[in-house]
Amino acid sequence: MKPAPFDYYRPATVEDALAALGTSETAKVLAGGQSLIPAMNFRLSQPDLLVDIGGVEGFDRMEVGPSGVMIGASVTQSRVMASDEVANAVPGLRRALHHVAHLQIRNRGTICGSIAHADPAAELPALAIACGATLFLQGPAGERTVDAGDFFLGPFWTDLGEGEIITGVHFPSEPADTVTFLDELAWRSGDFAITGLAGALATRGGSVSGARMVSFGVSGAPGRMTGAEQAVLGFSAGDDGSAVYGAAYEDGADAVDDVHATAEYRREALGALAVRSVRAALSTNGNGTGV
Amino acid sequence: MTLDSPTRINPMIRHRASHIGRAVPRREDRSPLMGRQRYIADLKLPGMLEVAFVRSPEAHARIVSIDTAPALGLPGVHAVFTGADLADVDLFPHKILYIQPVRQPALAVDRVRYVGSPYAAVVATDRYVAEDAATLVAAHTEFEPLPTVADLDQALAENAPRLYDDWPDNYLVNFPAEKPEVTQAFEEADHTFSDTYVSQRQTGLPLECRGVLADVHDGYFTVWSSTQSPHIVRTTIAEMTGIPEPRLRVIAPAMGGGFGTKTHIYPEDVVVTWIAGKLGRPVRWLEDRFENLVSAVHARDQRHDVDVAYDDDGTIRAIRCKAICDVGSGEIFMPGTAPVFVTGGCLTGGYDFPNMEVHHFCVVTNKTPSGAYRGFGVPEGMFVMERIIDRVARLTGTDRVEIRRRMILQEDQMPYVMHGGGRVDSGSHAKGFERATEMIGESLERARARYADDPDVRVGVGYTNYVEPTTPTYHLTTGFWAGGDSATLRVDPDGSARVGLGTTALGQGTETTAAQLAADALGLDPDDVTVVMGDTDRAPYGLGAWGSRSAIVMSGSILMAADRLLTKARDIAAHLLEAAAEDVVLSDGSFHVSGSEAPTVSWSQVATSAWVRTLDLPQGMEPGLEMSGYFEPPDLEHLPDMSGKVNAAASWSNGAHAGVVSVRISTGEIKIEDYVVVHDCGTMINPMIIDGQVHGGVAQGIAGAMYEHFQYDPETARPLFASFMEYLYPTCSEVPAMTVEHFETPSPEQPLGVKGCGEGGTIGPAAVVAGAVDDALADLGVEIKATPVTPSAIREAIREATAGGGER
Amino acid sequence: MMGANPGSREVDVSATVNGTQVTHRVPARLLLSDFIRDVVGLTGTHVGCEHGYCGACTVIVDGDAIRSCSTLAVQADGRTIRTVEDLATDGDLTPMQQAFHENHAMQCGFCTAGFLMTLESVDPDDYREAEQVVDLLSGNLCRCTGYQNIVNAVCSVWEVERN
Repeated sequence: MKPAPFDYYRPATVEDALAALGTSETAKVLAGGQSLIPAMNFRLSQPDLLVDIGGVEGFDRMEVGPSGVMIGASVTQSRVMASDEVANAVPGLRRALHHVAHLQIRNRGTICGSIAHADPAAELPALAIACGATLFLQGPAGERTVDAGDFFLGPFWTDLGEGEIITGVHFPSEPADTVTFLDELAWRSGDFAITGLAGALATRGGSVSGARMVSFGVSGAPGRMTGAEQAVLGFSAGDDGSAVYGAAYEDGADAVDDVHATAEYRREALGALAVRSVRAALSTNGNGTGV
Repeated sequence: MTLDSPTRINPMIRHRASHIGRAVPRREDRSPLMGRQRYIADLKLPGMLEVAFVRSPEAHARIVSIDTAPALGLPGVHAVFTGADLADVDLFPHKILYIQPVRQPALAVDRVRYVGSPYAAVVATDRYVAEDAATLVAAHTEFEPLPTVADLDQALAENAPRLYDDWPDNYLVNFPAEKPEVTQAFEEADHTFSDTYVSQRQTGLPLECRGVLADVHDGYFTVWSSTQSPHIVRTTIAEMTGIPEPRLRVIAPAMGGGFGTKTHIYPEDVVVTWIAGKLGRPVRWLEDRFENLVSAVHARDQRHDVDVAYDDDGTIRAIRCKAICDVGSGEIFMPGTAPVFVTGGCLTGGYDFPNMEVHHFCVVTNKTPSGAYRGFGVPEGMFVMERIIDRVARLTGTDRVEIRRRMILQEDQMPYVMHGGGRVDSGSHAKGFERATEMIGESLERARARYADDPDVRVGVGYTNYVEPTTPTYHLTTGFWAGGDSATLRVDPDGSARVGLGTTALGQGTETTAAQLAADALGLDPDDVTVVMGDTDRAPYGLGAWGSRSAIVMSGSILMAADRLLTKARDIAAHLLEAAAEDVVLSDGSFHVSGSEAPTVSWSQVATSAWVRTLDLPQGMEPGLEMSGYFEPPDLEHLPDMSGKVNAAASWSNGAHAGVVSVRISTGEIKIEDYVVVHDCGTMINPMIIDGQVHGGVAQGIAGAMYEHFQYDPETARPLFASFMEYLYPTCSEVPAMTVEHFETPSPEQPLGVKGCGEGGTIGPAAVVAGAVDDALADLGVEIKATPVTPSAIREAIREATAGGGER
Repeated sequence: MMGANPGSREVDVSATVNGTQVTHRVPARLLLSDFIRDVVGLTGTHVGCEHGYCGACTVIVDGDAIRSCSTLAVQADGRTIRTVEDLATDGDLTPMQQAFHENHAMQCGFCTAGFLMTLESVDPDDYREAEQVVDLLSGNLCRCTGYQNIVNAVCSVWEVERN
């Protein structure tokens, strides 16, 4: 299990990175490499050029401002997780990162890399959608921004164009009346989700006033749970949850079978996760503790 | 074989600090702690080349053509060999006459029968280039796909594609059985039921993959192989290649685990040796994890179709079991046929249950060959038995503990002959179960309290009482070797001892325990004992480490050699002391006349006389102070009698496991809240190491009960796994803390009363977890019939039992 | 049309490994695990899966525990690498190594270096509960011990109560 041969290039600027990517159709961006290098070891991925963005100027920025958190393309998951400032502004990030792999992976894996890789069972793409994050892209045609909600198109398939890279992601600050959460079922600690749910829930007077709910690990891409988002409106602690369960179950209609679980299981699990995470979010909203 | 082989420490040793029974810290630890251990991947020789095997991507196909030219054209590639090049290598031997002959070549020649089957070998300057070349060979191989057989049903279907054209069907083994008393019991019983239980395909999965390094000079081969049985590797390579055994030295270096997978003799052992001879330079192959998952033996994969006869009061009258093992392609030496017989023989576990009829079948499919894995068939059988007991309890309204109490083996029944001929010499079955029940009762209360406020969570308890056959015969597994093993003891002029052993070390602390044994056997301190294993030139012929056999065979052979050595040493000491030999005893490492503390003669003085100052020896005595013992365990049988019964294990450890699980109904999430083991392996040599064996065994049992599962595409027989993302090797978070207690019922027949402890831990968890989940979900009517018990499987069972999904 | 590819097949890697500066020209595709084992010659770091799951190859780079099988050697250029060989001083085991020995927290020893390096990389003050210790250890696989004694060893050194 060794990678096929490739050329390696470590640019110092985003312009050089883009120029290099433009020289090859199979070039790949290397950020943390925690998905890419194992895939290359299996020779499932055989780029002829690897563009290591670890040294690109500005990609290591992590800024917390009034509007939220800006995370550059080479910022590792551990660095984000360790920052109390980030945790205060966007509590969902630290909560989600607890579920992402293990310490050793997070020490190299990047936030943007996980988003660009778009594993359908990964936590960060779903969280980005739930938080309403904005992706900053740069490519041959210049810079653009994309809402996370519009970015993920299928398994390992995103809106990233040819030669385009993610330069950063912006997570908006969590509003005072909102709690962001992420819950998942995985058979082993640190694994990708068998079924997962990321969400942001606004409450008013003890009941849900707005919701963004995103499933992951269920089908080919993280996706908004439009039924559950409707069903959860007005939900309060005393409700029995059956309507939320039913709606979430229906939201999972495109669930897939694999070696770990059946599609039916994923739908049921999505229903159960929806009820329990909404309940937990309601009970913890406002005190900032984890869900 | 001597009928009078000693069973205890020689009585001439009077005062000594006993090391047997003490938690002596391991001498093996320091090197790996400091990163200085030498595993196979750490060995390099000057001029060494690396080998990569080219493996079949097809589950079943004819090889039409292989073009090696593109690979040979790659810079750094030294050679490419295909099956045709190995014409001077014999086929793998066929030695078990009651099974169909497979006779596979070391490299597949014209047909491949599983994904992962090696059919070519590339030799290059390094592994990176070798893999580049292997990819090229694969790209230039033309296969003609054949119809595939992905599971038992497909293999046994009428007109099923056959894996071997000259066989009448896909049965590698077909052993029906019929017992009139069972037939009669079925006629007389109040009720009967039929059911099917499944133990999934798994593997031992040592963290270190396999590897072979071979070197040759002057016609003398040295082969380092990560194997549990270096002597058997040597004998087999010699037989297949014609290299005389004395010119072939096989060394098992430090090993990163084995768990049975490294008992087999693999194609790579033979091919890498052959390549070294062909190229006249050292070559090495290191298995990578993908290769390991598809080409090291798999295991378990058994289905049991059972009929059960029982009475209203919960008495189980008789069981008829068709035990069917999917052995994959069968292309492995030794074949994977033995575990299913062990399943059958041990199915009744720690219970007095003679009315059992087992039909044994092994069926070939287009999957990785199966073979040995810790537990070797016993966990599968125990799963079946405990499932049956729980079901009868439920059907008759009998308490699950009570029904077991009625059946469990009692001390006054010893020795107890099991239905298959296994002769349980002693044990603590009943009191072990009582203790486990007592311990788990407290756990159950705690767990119930913990979840009292959560209506989504149910709590249940499961039990098992098993026997662990230890030191089994290898004859029924290999058709060739038997069951004995050897030790050579030498005392050097400085008074320290060297023990050579035919068994091997793969992480289980054998060096430490062997030193404890030899120290006590010679009246020395363990620090004065050096242990040598795993090298056919430095250690005596032996069968290696498997079948929880090392404790018994080391004890027996060390005691034999020690007795012989002590007899001679005493004669020398007596001569030096000018005393009569029968008056001389050994206390605290010195020889002296019984009853008088001085003068004394040390081991060093005796050994110096024996090796150096031979002029000091008694008149006519042959110099030297080295003795061997070749120990054949008493009561171990190698062939069945006319009724098919055989006591295929030298001794039988026993254990009771009990566990509490919580199950979340809405998601099927399952958590082991507590797990207790009451274990009895007879005399304990090193309790710390035994606990470690139990912990690790239970963890692997839990892996099988809840996580690990090799799955194949039913259409193509291609593996649906390639990595640890699909094959779920549990982490620290999945394995619960467990409590282990011991009873110590010495074997009345084996040396020092030891029994063996390597596999017991793996036997219990599947039965315990399934029983506990059933118990937790009893009011929903859930019955678990297959492992692994995953949340998805639990939800499916709930859905089936409640026709829809139960509560949400 | 596409321009010239600016990359190269071979790269220079300079790193400080266990306090010693090393510089080697190596293939760009060389994994850090192979660099450490085959080029630098420190074989205490083991390779168990080569896809970032088992943790046997864990080493410390600039203070962080990482999987050396999922890192290119060139990505460690200019960095400081520590391996298991750097733990004991003059043959004296660290308290954690000693605890692994005393608690029988190792059998075959193949995973041990990875566990030790993970543990070496963190601040024990961040792991005051047994649950946190278990979570930390979950990034390293062990097939022999059932983890029980590994958790015990760590808890003994870090003075964490095991429930």
